[in-house]
Amino acid sequence: MRTRGAPYAFLAPALVLFAAFLAAPVLYAGYLSLRRVKVSGLGLGAGARTEVWAGLGNYTRSLTDPEFVPSVLRVGAYGLVVVPVMLGLALILALLLDGGRTRVGTFTRTSIFLPYAVPAVIASLLWGFLYLPRVSPIVDVLDRVGITAPDALSSGWVLYAVANIAVWGGTGFNMIVLYTALRSIPTDLFEAARIDGASDIQIALRIKIPIIGPSLIMTFLFSLIATLQVFAEPMTLRPLSNTISTTWTPLMKVYRDAFVRNDIYSAAATSVVIAAATFVISYGFLKLVGSRAFSQES
Amino acid sequence: MKKTLASVFAAALLLTATACSSGDDSDDAPAADPNEKVALTYWSWAPNMDKVVEGWNAAHPNIQVTVNKQDGGDPAVAKLLTAIKAGSGAPDVMQAEYQKIPTLVAADAVADIAKEAGDLKAKFPESAWNAVTLGGEALYGVPQDSGPMMFFYRSDVFDKAGVQVPKTWDEYAAAARKIHQANPKQYLGTFSSNDPGWFAGLSQQAGASWWGVQGESWTVAINDANTKKVADFWGGLVQEGVINNKPMYTPEWNAALNDGTQVGWLGAVWGPGVLEGNAASTKGKWKTALLPNWDAAAPANGNWGGSATSVTSQSKHKAQAAEFVKWLNTDPAALKALAGTANVYPAATDATSVALTQPPAFFSNQPDFYTLAAEAGKITKPFTYGPNVNVAYSSYNDAFGKAAEGKQAAGFGAALDTIQQATVGDLKNAGFTVAG
Amino acid sequence: MAVLMSPPALRSEPAALPKPRRVSPTATVLLLLGAAYCLLPVLWVLIASTKSASELFNTFTFLPSTHLFDNIAFLSSYRDGLYWRWMVNSAIFAGGGAAVSALVSAMAGFALAKYEFRGKRVVFNLVLAGVLVPGVILAVPQYLLLAKVGMTNTYWAVLLPSFISPYGIYLCRIFAAATVPDEVLEAARMDGAGDGRAFFRVALPMMRGGLVTVFLFTFVAIWNNYMLPFIMLGDDKLFPVTVGLSGLLNQGATQPAMYTSVVTGAFLSIIPLVVLFLSLQRYWRVDLGAGAVKM
Repeated sequence: MRTRGAPYAFLAPALVLFAAFLAAPVLYAGYLSLRRVKVSGLGLGAGARTEVWAGLGNYTRSLTDPEFVPSVLRVGAYGLVVVPVMLGLALILALLLDGGRTRVGTFTRTSIFLPYAVPAVIASLLWGFLYLPRVSPIVDVLDRVGITAPDALSSGWVLYAVANIAVWGGTGFNMIVLYTALRSIPTDLFEAARIDGASDIQIALRIKIPIIGPSLIMTFLFSLIATLQVFAEPMTLRPLSNTISTTWTPLMKVYRDAFVRNDIYSAAATSVVIAAATFVISYGFLKLVGSRAFSQES
Repeated sequence: MKKTLASVFAAALLLTATACSSGDDSDDAPAADPNEKVALTYWSWAPNMDKVVEGWNAAHPNIQVTVNKQDGGDPAVAKLLTAIKAGSGAPDVMQAEYQKIPTLVAADAVADIAKEAGDLKAKFPESAWNAVTLGGEALYGVPQDSGPMMFFYRSDVFDKAGVQVPKTWDEYAAAARKIHQANPKQYLGTFSSNDPGWFAGLSQQAGASWWGVQGESWTVAINDANTKKVADFWGGLVQEGVINNKPMYTPEWNAALNDGTQVGWLGAVWGPGVLEGNAASTKGKWKTALLPNWDAAAPANGNWGGSATSVTSQSKHKAQAAEFVKWLNTDPAALKALAGTANVYPAATDATSVALTQPPAFFSNQPDFYTLAAEAGKITKPFTYGPNVNVAYSSYNDAFGKAAEGKQAAGFGAALDTIQQATVGDLKNAGFTVAG
Repeated sequence: MAVLMSPPALRSEPAALPKPRRVSPTATVLLLLGAAYCLLPVLWVLIASTKSASELFNTFTFLPSTHLFDNIAFLSSYRDGLYWRWMVNSAIFAGGGAAVSALVSAMAGFALAKYEFRGKRVVFNLVLAGVLVPGVILAVPQYLLLAKVGMTNTYWAVLLPSFISPYGIYLCRIFAAATVPDEVLEAARMDGAGDGRAFFRVALPMMRGGLVTVFLFTFVAIWNNYMLPFIMLGDDKLFPVTVGLSGLLNQGATQPAMYTSVVTGAFLSIIPLVVLFLSLQRYWRVDLGAGAVKM
């Protein structure tokens, strides 16, 4: 009854675009990661450089770069700050909104969602102004009441300064996702508990949170992926401080190698490593929680 | 192998692209007919360059130049090199900072226009000419502007603190101490881990030349005694706390220029534009002097900034592009427009007489501004850039970022060793012959 | 202080609740704190854009000034209104990219949700893998490949890669599964509708709410994208507003950064998105976990 070719016809545009703009570039990056430029002598003549096979040389160089492991650890620490704080805030705010015990629900929901509309580049610029001690209103106000605020971009604080921008930009979106999930819980599921005298907090912990578990898992996964790819925020803040190096995160290293050092081959190798690591972590996480959220059948 | 793989990918792309591809505007055969109409694209980040080019377009109906404004030297070169690698997408003409020229030549990104441009050597100072020829017969661009370093200071603050304009670096250090002690919020300067070009200029003044050619191999001397001397000097002042350790060109630095807590700046001849843009309200309070010296008896100087105009290797109209480049940087009308409209300090030696008769507006209180600038240019020491300046400079950002944050004088010398290692390692890894 | 609140729209409360739903001061305060944290930088950019260049660095940060219209006028006159061209470009990239992407995603999501076919599992896993690939990694090879067909530095260079959104396909699959009942499709077929007709006439309208969500989601993603247009475009008349503004900031050492214009431009660039958000707010109902969307 159904045309056999129909699903393929529906999928065709997506598959062609996928092949051209995702699969082909990824494969091409893989190819580039095995190549390198070989220069001879002074390297100034027109024929002085040739592209040759590099084997796994780019990978060994990328993985043994003394800056690589610290940048990976840094992103790990950054993720440990951002993901729990952002999702924790999003969950608390969503529960508060869902509880309905406030009259500022619409206003606060919109306000908290607003930063999602601000591009990361611009958000980092705004926060940069708020961080720099000499121009920061926060430091200014604290100073007037006699508190000396720490320099947000000093080595001890810079990780949190970058994390704060991500939390600021991401909490609202996750809050909306969780709020939507909370609103779809049938009322009678917790009405009985309420009549039995359960407090709002008990209802939240014992009934609401377990039910929206799948949503929490998915927001966690997408936040994790975004965290591993942190780039725009430290990149924008970098010129403002001494504490963010050009290889502060692995993706910044990719950018530096490709655009500053003009070595797209090393950049490609590091890219492949990051992509592989992202896959392993994401799938590992999904296996760990045994989630069926990503499964075929909904 | 590379070709086949690439064409497979390209075919995959075409599959989706043909349906909506817009008209292709690429040009075909090289110019043979002098009356042929050609359109050139020109990447530049100098302000109002499109206005300067209008003068050319009006007089040359057959060679129309379109300016594409760029974000600055680094992004422009990054994009150009990507376009060269891709085989298309590069402009015909390109503004290229002097320190980028060896990189561009090594990547085969710029064309040799010695034949097309003719002999221009006499029109430019030797240092600029060396930068565009790399000391050989080829010509990889025509010098556009140069950036002899100069010292800007708040004369009102100096007067109040009873500080004389420093002639030597020792006097500079003494002045820095005195100013900071009189008002702990004030600094005479800052050590910027974000401006390798600035530090290279200071090292150039001290007699360093970070790269060099020895026969058929490169030499790298970033941690030589001259540069070490400069690094130790700044490391000492930062450790002492009399010089700030925050990067330049930040909102914070701007605020400090505005509120008078940054009372001096080791800038270059283009500095008035930066000061005016960042701290217009302080107009009239600044004065200019030559850089302090290591040896007062043998004054020297360094360069910060400055660029040439090059024809890219992808241009299909090399002759016309070379003609435009030559006009832009040597024609008196063009020089006048460059200086007056695009706010650059032309490299051409006769620019001072044709275009720079008035001091910049921000320094109207200093009639001898361009006389000083010319003097600063004259005593500029030779300096050779290598094919991986980008590697050394990004390594500078990281190594000196750490050193400035650590505020230990010893860290500054160590930073130079780190940069030297990274630079030599990169050259060797790419296959360049490196001496030593 | 404790005022009885009218019951929320979705859930009415029985009258005999042991504990009436009172306004909780704690909840209100916590939510207002959250809102203040999120609004603070936006408020700052609003106030900063009213200041002249020297006031920006000299006066107390939260003290507004009177130069907003001067700043807008200056920004508008910068290189013959280039800023507004950037805004239009952003609208073209984000609007065009998101519209096509939503349609492509809807078709693919529909196929994945409503058909059984060979290779379905492979396609779905490909989509999931696509979600995980960072844009920064793709940008360079995308540029090199597009350059081979001579399409860099055109609108298409930014639009075409934006048309494919694995995340959009993933969401559309959820929406299609949740909002288009099999029985309705069967009924359409009984009436003699082909697959295409069943999709465009029956399924698509039912998925409408979900599609708006995907459109908004993709719109924001493209509007906020920096890396792809930065690499693809050489001519600044084609720039979107993110790339343009960051260029005003990083003019290189020999030029002063145009802070006032950047701040004013940043402020103006947020407004269209805020309007879009407020007017389409009811569509922001993504339920990732339950696989359902409520309209």
